[in-house]
Amino acid sequence: MSTLTVDKTRFAIKEPKSLSDRVRWLRDYYFEGVKRRWSNEFTSWTTGTPWDFQYNELSFYIVPETYFYIPTFRSSFKQTAKPVALHKDFWSWNLPERRAWFLKEVMVNYVPKEILPGDLLAGARFNVITSHCLTEKETKEYDKLVKGKGGSREAMLWFHNHGYGNTGATSGHLIPGYARIIQEGWVAVNAELKACYEKLSDEEKKGPKGGQLRAMITSSTLARDLAAKYREKLLALVENEPDIARKTELQTMANNLARVPWEPARNFWEAVQSLWLTHMLVMSDENYPGPGVSFGRIDQFLYPLWEASLSSGMDREFGKDILKCMWVHCNTAYDGMIRTGGNQGITAGYGQLLTLAGVGAAGLDMSNDLTYAILEVIDEMSPILEPKPNVRLHRGTPEPLMDKVVEMIASSQGAPFLLNFDERSMAGMMLEARKAGVQHLINTTNVHEYAPVGCLENTMVGNDRSGTVDDNLNLLKAVELTLTGGYDMIPVKDGLTGLPSKLTLDGADTGDPAAFSTWEQFWQAYAEQTRRIINLSVETYEKSEAIRARFFQTPYLSCLVKGCAASGKDINQGGAELNFVTVEAVTYATTVDSLLAVKHLVFDKQICTMQELVKALKANWIGYEKLQAIAINKTPKYGRDDDVADEMASQVMHLWTEEVWKHKTNSTKRQFRPGMLSWNYWISYSDILAASPDGRAKGKFLSNAICPSNGADIKGPTANVNSVGKVMGGKAADGKGDWAEYFNVLPNGGSHTITFNPSILRDPEHRDKFKAFLRGYIENGGSALQINMLNADLLRDAQKHPEDYRHLLVRVTGYNAYFTTIGKELQDEIIARESHQMC
Amino acid sequence: MENMTEAIATLTGTILHLQRLSTEDGPGIRTTVFYKGCPLRCAWCHNPESLLLKPEVQWIGNRCIGCDSCLEACEKGALSKEVDGFQRDRSLCEACGDCVRACPSGAMEMLGEAISVDDMVSELVKDRAYFEKSGGGVTLSGGEPSLQPAFTLELMKTLKQAGVSLALDTCGLCPPETLVELVAEADIVLFDLKLIDDDAHHKWTGVSNTRILNNLQVVKKEIEVSGGSKRLWMRTPLIPGATDTRENIQGIGQYLAEKVGAAAERWELCAFNNLCRDKYSRLDMAWAFAETPLMTKENLAEVDQWAKTSGFDPQRVFVTGTARLEN
Repeated sequence: MSTLTVDKTRFAIKEPKSLSDRVRWLRDYYFEGVKRRWSNEFTSWTTGTPWDFQYNELSFYIVPETYFYIPTFRSSFKQTAKPVALHKDFWSWNLPERRAWFLKEVMVNYVPKEILPGDLLAGARFNVITSHCLTEKETKEYDKLVKGKGGSREAMLWFHNHGYGNTGATSGHLIPGYARIIQEGWVAVNAELKACYEKLSDEEKKGPKGGQLRAMITSSTLARDLAAKYREKLLALVENEPDIARKTELQTMANNLARVPWEPARNFWEAVQSLWLTHMLVMSDENYPGPGVSFGRIDQFLYPLWEASLSSGMDREFGKDILKCMWVHCNTAYDGMIRTGGNQGITAGYGQLLTLAGVGAAGLDMSNDLTYAILEVIDEMSPILEPKPNVRLHRGTPEPLMDKVVEMIASSQGAPFLLNFDERSMAGMMLEARKAGVQHLINTTNVHEYAPVGCLENTMVGNDRSGTVDDNLNLLKAVELTLTGGYDMIPVKDGLTGLPSKLTLDGADTGDPAAFSTWEQFWQAYAEQTRRIINLSVETYEKSEAIRARFFQTPYLSCLVKGCAASGKDINQGGAELNFVTVEAVTYATTVDSLLAVKHLVFDKQICTMQELVKALKANWIGYEKLQAIAINKTPKYGRDDDVADEMASQVMHLWTEEVWKHKTNSTKRQFRPGMLSWNYWISYSDILAASPDGRAKGKFLSNAICPSNGADIKGPTANVNSVGKVMGGKAADGKGDWAEYFNVLPNGGSHTITFNPSILRDPEHRDKFKAFLRGYIENGGSALQINMLNADLLRDAQKHPEDYRHLLVRVTGYNAYFTTIGKELQDEIIARESHQMC
Repeated sequence: MENMTEAIATLTGTILHLQRLSTEDGPGIRTTVFYKGCPLRCAWCHNPESLLLKPEVQWIGNRCIGCDSCLEACEKGALSKEVDGFQRDRSLCEACGDCVRACPSGAMEMLGEAISVDDMVSELVKDRAYFEKSGGGVTLSGGEPSLQPAFTLELMKTLKQAGVSLALDTCGLCPPETLVELVAEADIVLFDLKLIDDDAHHKWTGVSNTRILNNLQVVKKEIEVSGGSKRLWMRTPLIPGATDTRENIQGIGQYLAEKVGAAAERWELCAFNNLCRDKYSRLDMAWAFAETPLMTKENLAEVDQWAKTSGFDPQRVFVTGTARLEN
């Protein structure tokens, strides 16, 4: 009873709607892209010294697509950099002070201040690439640590080329303390910093603490001084504005800036202005547009001001227009490299994530009128990439919110937001508190205040850096090393000569697996290789972490993260109260299925010997098609709600997550924690990692995040969901989990994507069934779900006629992209992906 | 007594497959059990693999990797390799499963396997959370569940004890006492009524509808005495040229209005679908409807109109399914 031929109207492409003339113009203008006269393209700035450079490659170590361009980026930003006249004492200051001053100087006195027509928010250009502000000696030291033998770049490339994954100290991926700025203003931050500085001894003032705090004091006035410049600009516009209504708006905007973000916001307009200016400067400070710099629970901290403004006469639609202006501003992050394109991967999704609804203290639901207003904004602006919304669901989510969520999923091409599941997520945060000994910072009284960053990575708010994309590890490498006794299965080709490099014992010395007579022996060897690859990833990460801590402070961002002021340490030096680095395991299902296949084929059923299996893998299954077919079709797989297979999956999960908790960074003492988000690595590593025992040939995609392998979830979405919930820890039989009866071994959360046939939402009766599915997910599922609604025919047509599908959004691993702008390879994969037959 | 318990636990049914997250077979989210074996021979049957009670084997060509393992495994000599793939001499094939076990790719597929009540139950309770949140449960469908009465009854009792809501989807052709026993365990009955004219029923399904209509009255009585705890949904497939005539639709509606009345909570009319075409060719069967196009939107609107003016409460008429895609 499937429906393949369907009413075409069901696939109507989502269009923006109910936009005011102002917002429609701004949105249309944004989508003109390179044709625009105004853009937020990167500008590059230099101290003017011959050794100066700007590009921070460390932040891009997790983006393999950029490796080839590292030298090019570095030299092109250097060549195009404009000099900044330095303060006479500049070189006498220590590094964070130089960095703080330099950024402020660039933003306040160099970058142009512009107001777009009709815009209600000031703060336009923020994409800057600033000087590292290093002395010649520091530059030499930096370059040795980065580019020298055994340096961070070499280590990172080795790690990547050999298929282990990628790792690097990356920007963003946190929720700055925006609520405080709105409520107390920068003036309070400034006062606190000065108080902290005054408490230092004279000795400390001369040392790194003093320098850091002086840098932060400088940074704490950046937003104020920039606001003043924008105010001047606005007042000039007021003079020349013929339209009375617009004149009044411009005057109000100028008035807003006379107050915020320095002082507390008194109304909604001021609050959003304060938020935007404060937020955009984080991206300036990190020299990276919007990498998971997230807003947190925006419908909570803005709500008192929303309510106050509404009750004092603000038109609700005007309030939404203020937000819509912020939406447009967020998207200009993509202007950074607008002329160099790059649709696939790196510029496809930045993830300025905002969080809506969810549970509050005493288990109460926190959705309010602003929650719905923001959902309306999303609906009316969609499709648009930023900011990325995340809606928190829980057992107490009220029906009207469920209705709105399902209605929006039905009218878009899949959910225009990610769904986060509170009970499972909070269980993970509670586990994290215990594992890291930070129960005083995360406990039953405040764990509900958590919010996701980037895509779905759960963190606390305003005091937490959890490095949620910094360490990406292919678990499958441990299977490969077990099968070879510690060597690469395929020798890596030398980049210059193209010749295969000599095999070395990079993994643990677990011996020839052909000698294993039992599955248990194989498992023990696998466990040892897992410990080995985690060790290697931690060691590789340490290099960029240590370099960043020493050479790349972000004092402005540090002002917005609790702990930095009190400790006098930059956020990049471990200054935040909560300091984690997340190991995001990639290839989970492929790994589990491969272990299941080894057990089934070699030990349980003895369909082949270990030697035969290894030979088949080295031959990429060529000549072993029958064995490959058995591996694909006749062995147990994760994701089918099969308790035996899922038990193996749980063992794999337990092993790697427990191992991760054993590590901390040396340089900054940040605790490693586990998560599962695989961005697009399940595609990029498919060509690097050898064939795997689950029947996957080299070149075929790996599994994505916590999802079952492609095509493996033949029992449908509920079985898939149940498997995911089980491996994340399931529920306590006695009801005593880490949060209610829930467990979650992945505090970061796991990215879970399910594709549905749109017929599940075709009428109110079916929409009710879908709501019930989501309520079932709350009980049985994981921490985060992305819902796709796809139809292969439609996508094939979109591939052929991209001009007709400009706005067609698809979601890939927790971020979304315009279908027609992603590469053909990825398009083909999306088309091939099984769409669950719902009827 | 112990022996009896054991006998019940090892009681098996011949089942095609389980469909989880089924949204079309009764209220809420359901897991549908597709039985093998049906007493009717409807010319349009959408599940031809469910007709025979005995297991059968089919070959799914696009899964085949051409390794010939099946040929080597078949001791009956039932398989041969032809230009368009494997041919099975069904007079020789006993569905022993040797070729299915030998096949590495899942191209050879067994249709119908004996499954015990216990194994069924442990699978069927896995989606309990979704059942509870949606007012759903398990639907026994097919094929025809009443054709394997002992197994079905035991399965229903065990699921009921486990607190799972049950739907019985029946064609209505079985001994009335069997139906009474099964309906006693069901929370909802999905009852098919295809053709109201007996000659037409005979022509299209191979049997008279007299017993079916009598059984419908039996079910109606059970529904009425349950005092609202049991529900009845009527279902009519809309088959072009067979059941989709004005006389038939209005005739069924009139019958329901007069003879079933308020006991029928809804009447679903399900549009013809052609997606089963491949199933017929895989089973080496001809299908009279292979070239029949889907109904048009206008057809469906017309049927909707007929049903709603037939005398049966129009609020309880639901026309479902897919219309022809029009450009």
